[in-house]
Order: sequence, then C-alpha cells, then structure tokens
Amino acid sequence: MVIKVNNLVKRYGDLVALDHLSFEVGEGEVFGLLGPNGSGKTTAINCILSLLKYDKGEIEIFGKPMSPTAYDIKREIGIIMQNVAVFEELTVYENINYFCGLYISDKAERKRLVEEAIDFVGLNDFRKFYPKKLSGGLLRRLNIACGVAHKPKLIILDEPTVAVDPQSRNKILEGIEQLNRQGATIVYTSHYMEEVEQICSRIVILDKGKVIASGTKEELKSMISLGEKITAELFSLPAEKLAMLRKMPGVASAEYSDRLLVVKSEKGKNNLESVLNFLHSENIRYGRIYSELPTLNDVFLEITGKQLRD
Amino acid sequence: MPVFKLCMKIIRKHLPSMMIYVVIFLGIAILITTASTRSSSAGEFTQTKTNIAFFSGENTPLVQGLKKELSKTCNFVELPDETEKLQDALFFRSVSYIIRIPKGFTESFLNGGSATIGKTIVPDSVSARYTDLAVSQYLNIARLYVKNLNGISQEKLVNDVENDFSTDTPVELQASAQTASQNDFAVYYFNYLAYTLSAVLILGIAAIMLVFNNLDLKRRNYCSPLSAGSMNVQFILANFVFAMACWIIMVGACFVLNPDALSRPNTLWMVLNSLVLTLCLSGMSYLIGSLMKSRNAISAVCNVVTLGPCFISGVFVPQEFLNGTVLKIASFTPTYWYVKANNQIADLTSFSYGVLSPTLFCMMVELGFAAAFLAIALAVGKNRKRES
Repeated sequence: MVIKVNNLVKRYGDLVALDHLSFEVGEGEVFGLLGPNGSGKTTAINCILSLLKYDKGEIEIFGKPMSPTAYDIKREIGIIMQNVAVFEELTVYENINYFCGLYISDKAERKRLVEEAIDFVGLNDFRKFYPKKLSGGLLRRLNIACGVAHKPKLIILDEPTVAVDPQSRNKILEGIEQLNRQGATIVYTSHYMEEVEQICSRIVILDKGKVIASGTKEELKSMISLGEKITAELFSLPAEKLAMLRKMPGVASAEYSDRLLVVKSEKGKNNLESVLNFLHSENIRYGRIYSELPTLNDVFLEITGKQLRD
Repeated sequence: MPVFKLCMKIIRKHLPSMMIYVVIFLGIAILITTASTRSSSAGEFTQTKTNIAFFSGENTPLVQGLKKELSKTCNFVELPDETEKLQDALFFRSVSYIIRIPKGFTESFLNGGSATIGKTIVPDSVSARYTDLAVSQYLNIARLYVKNLNGISQEKLVNDVENDFSTDTPVELQASAQTASQNDFAVYYFNYLAYTLSAVLILGIAAIMLVFNNLDLKRRNYCSPLSAGSMNVQFILANFVFAMACWIIMVGACFVLNPDALSRPNTLWMVLNSLVLTLCLSGMSYLIGSLMKSRNAISAVCNVVTLGPCFISGVFVPQEFLNGTVLKIASFTPTYWYVKANNQIADLTSFSYGVLSPTLFCMMVELGFAAAFLAIALAVGKNRKRES
C-alpha cells in the first residue's frame, strides 16, 4: 500500500472534521477523494502530509508511519495545493527550479527535470514570465509543475482545477493521467464529480468527515437503485399518456415539466427503445431525446439526500 | 542552499526600491564631502594681518622700530586724524586698532618714566587683542634693555630688540586640535547613515519575511524534505548576509569618499557603532516583517519608522538644536542612542575605557533594543503559528 489511513479523527473544537476516516491507496492507482465543500477532503490531505496534528488514528505512507520529520517519505511525495503556492518574485523557470531544488540537489539533474516539467505543463513560452503575468489556468499549471518536477512516486492533488478554464482543465487532467501512466500513484481530491469519474480508478466519497461510499465508479453506481435516465423535449404530453409511461415495465419514475420529460429506469434496465416506440405509437412529437447512465452525483444524492455541490 | 538563494533573489527583485535610498544617501554624502573639503581650513595655519591706524607725535628711531615690528602683523591704513572719521573706520571695521603715540613718549620711555600709548579699539576684537600683545611685547623687551643697559642709544636699542624678534618659534598643530573639525564629515555621514540603513534593511528583510510568512508557501515548503531547522538557518543566514552587505557597502563608501577617515580612531569607533545599529535595525526589520501583511504596508511603515525617529533623534537636525521633550521621546528609539554615541565619539581625543564608557553605554542600549525587537518578533511569530 502506498497510503494507509486508519481510524483518523480530527476535531476543531466541537466540530468533528474527520470522523474515524479509513482508506487505503494502492500503488499505481488514481485515487479520488470526492465530497462537497467542507466534507473534510483538504483536512484529510493535510493530516496525511503532517501539516495538521490529528486527534486519533494512524497514517502510513510507503509502509512507514508519517510524521513531520519523515523526510525520506516527504522526498517521494509531490504536492499540489488547493491554493496556488508560487513566489511572485521568481519567474516560471525559477519557481519550478526552487521547488525542485528542495528535493534534488544535483544541479544538472535538476535542470533536466525542470525542463521536463515545463514541457509537461506546456509553459515553454512562459518560462521567463512572472506569476503576475500568467492567467489563472497557466498559474495552476505552474503550481502543478512545481509539485511534480522532482518526479515523485506519490502525487497528491488537492482540487487542482478550481477556477480553471475548460482548456486548462483538460490539459491538467490529461497531465495527471500521463503521470499515472509513468508510474506515479495519484491522490486526487475534488468536488467536481465529472473529473473524478474521468480519471480516478477508485473513489472514496466523503461527507461530514466520514466515508459514505467507496469503490470503483461502476461499483459506486451499482450501489444505487436507479438505472438509465431518459430525457426528451416534448411540445406537450397529456396526463393520461404520462400515466401510461409510468406503468411501463422497467420504469421507476416519469415526470413532465417545462416541456421536458424525464424517465428514470429501474436498476439495470434500459428503456430508451421502449420510450421511443411509445412516443411514435402515441403520435407524440418530440425534439431532442437522450439517455444518461447514473452519475456519482446520483450516488451521492441517493445516499445523503443532497447534491454534491449543495 | 535553496532557501538562501531564494532570499537573495527576493532581495535582488526589490533592489531598485532600495537603491533609491542608497543613491540619495551617497549623493548627499558626496555633497557633504565637497563642502567639507572646500572649507577645510582647520588643519592649516595661515598668518593674517590686522588693519590698524598709526598716529605718532614724534618720529624717533624707537617709534620707527615699533612701527617696523608691527608691520609684520599689521597693515597700516592711512586715515585722516579726525575723531568722526576714525570712529567710522572702527565701526565699519576698516581698522580694528588705532594707535596714538604722544609727543615726548620716547624721552619719557628711555628715562624710565610712565610713558603711555593711546589706543582705540573695536571692543572684544581678537585681532585688537593680538595687536595689544605685539605692542606690549615690543615695549617690554625694549624696557628690559633700557633698565639693564644704562645709556643705551636708541639705534642700538632698536637693533637689539629687532634681533630678539627675528627668532621664530616653529608651531606645529597637534591632532587633538584638528579632531573636531576633521570628524565633521564622519559625524554627518554616519548620522545620516542611520536613515538610509534603516530604510534599506526594512525594505529588504521585511520583503523576505512577507514572502516566507505566506501561509500557502510556508505549508508548501514544509511538505518538502528540507528540515525546518535547515530552512530557518538558511533564512537567518540570508538576512544576516544582506544586513552585513548593506553595512559594508555604506560604511565602505565613507572611506572611498574620505580615505583619511580610515586612519582616525574616532571614525573606527563610529564604524563599530554603525555595526551595532545594523544589528538593532535588522531586529526591527524582522519585527516589522513579522507584523506586515502586504507590500504597500511595508513601504508606508518603512517611511514612518525611518523618517520619524530620524527627525527627532538628531539625524537631520543636530541634537543640540532639539527640544528637551523631543529628545526625551527620541530616547525611546535606537536612532537617538546611535546619534548620541556618534556625537560623543566625534569629540573624543583619547580612547581609554573611562572616556569611552558613555559611548559604550549608548551601544549597549542599542543592543538592548535589538534584543527587545527580536523577542517581540519571535512572540508574534509563535502566536501566528498557533493561529494558522
């Protein structure tokens, strides 16, 4: 195991930020910590990195207990913080060189690694720029380059795509996948379920400091009672036709409002063909129609009764 | 040493704003040097002559001899013998001494009588006093010959007196007589140094502190394999190197502008005093850096903290001209003790422990300030660490 968190408890006064949190991260995994704001993701990461003292529990990294003075372990970790942490006084190149220099003392090797990191995040044209001159997306990329330049075995990314434009977000996600292909174990925290779904091989969903579900995305989705969701734009739908739809086999629910028909299927059922046949046979005219599989948001919604981004 | 190098880069980035202070300081120092060189007559000796008016009721060899002797130290100005014009001449300083020899003076003098010479002078005039001395000296020597050589002729008397006065005594000005004026430049320079040094140190050290107090960067650094101890050592070393570099550059400039200063012990003591102040100001900058949260705030605080104490402590206006209450308030700043020590050092002619002890006391007070600043800064840092 690369990370083993066992029974972790962290309190801020009366508030329990982490409530007996336990999880493990295997080598080569892209591990996602998903949860709404305030669910305890960053607190968990800070405890793992020994930035915060915790009240109870054990944390092991690479099989050794993690502590503020575990420098051998720290040497193998790359950290990309939620807030961009770079020096305004240094250029892009100098910033990466500084952070890489905290891990690599050999000048020639460091130079090579810094060049690779600049290439990796696509900041070649901006190497002499000061952070003030960079856009939000480019700053995030610089932040990532500073965290991964020394080629760590474990990379922890704490919400690295907050306030990032779609182009930079895709670039960042592609980069993370690439780092994983190169052999790094990734711990990725986010409240964007699409990102976690896209890149993580295993996911832990947190709420109020507790693990409410964990597994692969398929395993998580199979935990809920809903299956396929069909959405159709209809000009009108008489009430008796809606009632007929609700009675169709495999349909869990059907709702019509604002010219949108939403049909939810029972777990494991696909109803797109039968819904289309029904609309044709009843001569109901429709515009766009599409089908979606359940998302992690649906998982979260069913388990907690609230949206991930509430 | 990544942290050390980083600190140096941060300082380099802030160098332009610091250089403004240094350039202004050096500009003023050059002006002071030029001014002091132009008026530096203190170390030289040039004989000057006093303007006098000479009226005589007789023209005997003795009177001629006196006039000849006086001509060595006086210029004779021709004036009409009218009371009003003579008074005007004295009032407008055309002459500072009017000598009047009455008729029968020579005869009375040679006979041992109480012959007197009339004089009118500018009151409290130094040159008149010297002319008095010259006249008295001539007549006293002449009287000595008259008393001891009975029947001496006027010609022989005048010759003998002239021979006596022809012997010159070499005069050498001792260093102690020059010290005060020669130290003027050093005092101006080192007093003004307090302002520039404090401004530059605050801008540099506070800029480094501000960067390292950024919580995100602090946590990011803490995640690295570099130990907190090593980071602190590099950080302190960088600040120390910066402070010493500033001190060396500014003190070095003094010796470039005025190489002679290096040979005077007074200047060397001022150098030591400035080193003590540098340590004190480093502590103060460290405290300011711990308290500040933005760059703009640093500039504002820098101006207040440097200009304020410098105005009331005697950096710009000598302490002698400052009101007692102002100086009392100023005594709560290290700059006051620094300037006080400098002024004391400038007046020193010997450097025994007894003479130096007031100066050493001032330096100790400066070091006390340094310790207090550091203690407060560490307490602030600890408190902030607990909060974060």
